[in-house]
Amino acid sequence: MGGSSNTINPWPFLLPALLLCILFFLIPTVNMVILSLTTENGIGLDNFKLFFSTPHLTQALYRSIILAISATIIGSLVAWPLAYFIVFCVNKKWRPLFLLAILAPFWTSFTIRAFSWQLVLSDNGVIAWFIELITGISVTLGILYTMNASIFGLALFCSMLTTFTLYGALVSIDTKLIEAASNLGAKPFNIFKDIIFPLGLPGWIAGIFLSFIVCVGDYAVPTLLGGGLKPVLAQIMLSILKGTYDLSQAATIAIILAMTVIMCGLPLIIYGMLRRKRVSV
Amino acid sequence: MNGLIVNKFMLLILTAFFCLSLIVIYLPILVMIVFSFNSGKYQTLPFREPTFEWYISLIADNSFINSFFTSLMMASLASIFATILGFLAAYAFSKAKVPAHALLFGIVVCPLVIPMILIGIGMRLQIVSIGIEPALWLVLLGQTLYVLPLAVINLKNRIDKIPKSMEEAAISLGSSRIKSIILILAPICAPSIFATLLLTFTFSFDEFVIAYFLTNFEVTLPIRIWTSLVTGFEPKINAVGTAVFIFSLTLGLIAQFILLFKQTDLDKNKA
Repeated sequence: MGGSSNTINPWPFLLPALLLCILFFLIPTVNMVILSLTTENGIGLDNFKLFFSTPHLTQALYRSIILAISATIIGSLVAWPLAYFIVFCVNKKWRPLFLLAILAPFWTSFTIRAFSWQLVLSDNGVIAWFIELITGISVTLGILYTMNASIFGLALFCSMLTTFTLYGALVSIDTKLIEAASNLGAKPFNIFKDIIFPLGLPGWIAGIFLSFIVCVGDYAVPTLLGGGLKPVLAQIMLSILKGTYDLSQAATIAIILAMTVIMCGLPLIIYGMLRRKRVSV
Repeated sequence: MNGLIVNKFMLLILTAFFCLSLIVIYLPILVMIVFSFNSGKYQTLPFREPTFEWYISLIADNSFINSFFTSLMMASLASIFATILGFLAAYAFSKAKVPAHALLFGIVVCPLVIPMILIGIGMRLQIVSIGIEPALWLVLLGQTLYVLPLAVINLKNRIDKIPKSMEEAAISLGSSRIKSIILILAPICAPSIFATLLLTFTFSFDEFVIAYFLTNFEVTLPIRIWTSLVTGFEPKINAVGTAVFIFSLTLGLIAQFILLFKQTDLDKNKA
């Protein structure tokens, strides 16, 4: 740092962005916590007790978690071969293009993508038509408007997201490391196990974390592909706000959703902190 | 080097897997585009006579056209606001000594790692409890908040790579801080700023939850589409979907191209 005239006062630059975040994010969050704790007889956990004693709601929470976990796991597994292929099998010059091919649908509306899967999966959709064309047997798929259709739709999204974050990690691996290992006689599998996997891990974990967040709060895919008969928590929250308008209950559900994200994210955050410590040591 | 980690057999499997993934990703979109030219009210194969009927009825449908222009306006303003606020914040985080750096950075970036539905519901409950009616200007602020982290992260990555000495030189020659930012820093960052504008525009253009929670009557395009999807099928939805797909895709691709290829340019300069 030079003289005091050279130090920059950060506040004029920071304040507008910070103000927006405080007014429209922090204050509403605090307000939501207060609302969820407010009951007819003062402050208390009654809203939460009510939530966990209503089977209809706990089942929706359970479905939200199962849906998010399944989609995240499938997506994270699919991401490895895709990112691996783009980074290690494609000429350096063409890598961004291959990545774009996977990511392009990512830039279109989530709703439209979910809807377009209806056209493929429904009982008179493309797959059913194709099977009938080949085998001559008319089939009822029975996939659309089930949990499996929701998992499928979200898993597709997760695999794109995780491929993207994993790509970032794999592409920055120093190729000298791999060459050195190979010169010293390491087999491809060992190179993967000892070099590529550990160095790709942070990007993979980031993708998993972001996938889970999106999936647990999504309502478009569960509504369009999963149907409304077995709602997830986000769908219930929406119907409360547009229907009965019980603000305390809506806030309670929102807080429970936030807690779910934090609890599922906690192991990953702790892992990240431990890792950083180990690297710095 | 490729031969060191992937043998022929693995290469075959990986290539096949990649192609299969592309088919799965693009199949529904292709089907939608095909159906958008299909005459007949029902979405069943085989394909009937090709028609432009749905596109024509789309242009004639005021509710779709109006919601498109509403979305266009919202997304333009939100992306401009977010890019300006993001640039300023990124500058502070990159070049100034910010007290409680990690905490403040966390607060600004947090909306990215929170399910969007929580931001939407939080704002809705807030405005209800202080007695503000849902309106479009709230959507605008909400969407700016939602895309702000993207702008901050993108621009901070760029500004981090610019040595402080450039600005210092200008200032020691008598330029003011503001002038040096506008005349030196901003032009250097121009490609990233442009990419950020496009990126935040696409995200805000497609954003649904915040718009859904914060308006009652004025609708954006994603809400109009959603209403049509859940309240009974209109065949022109395929045409809308195709149009939105091509529109968002073009913008998104341009943004992504700039970000990815500029990145490789920088690496080249370094080497």
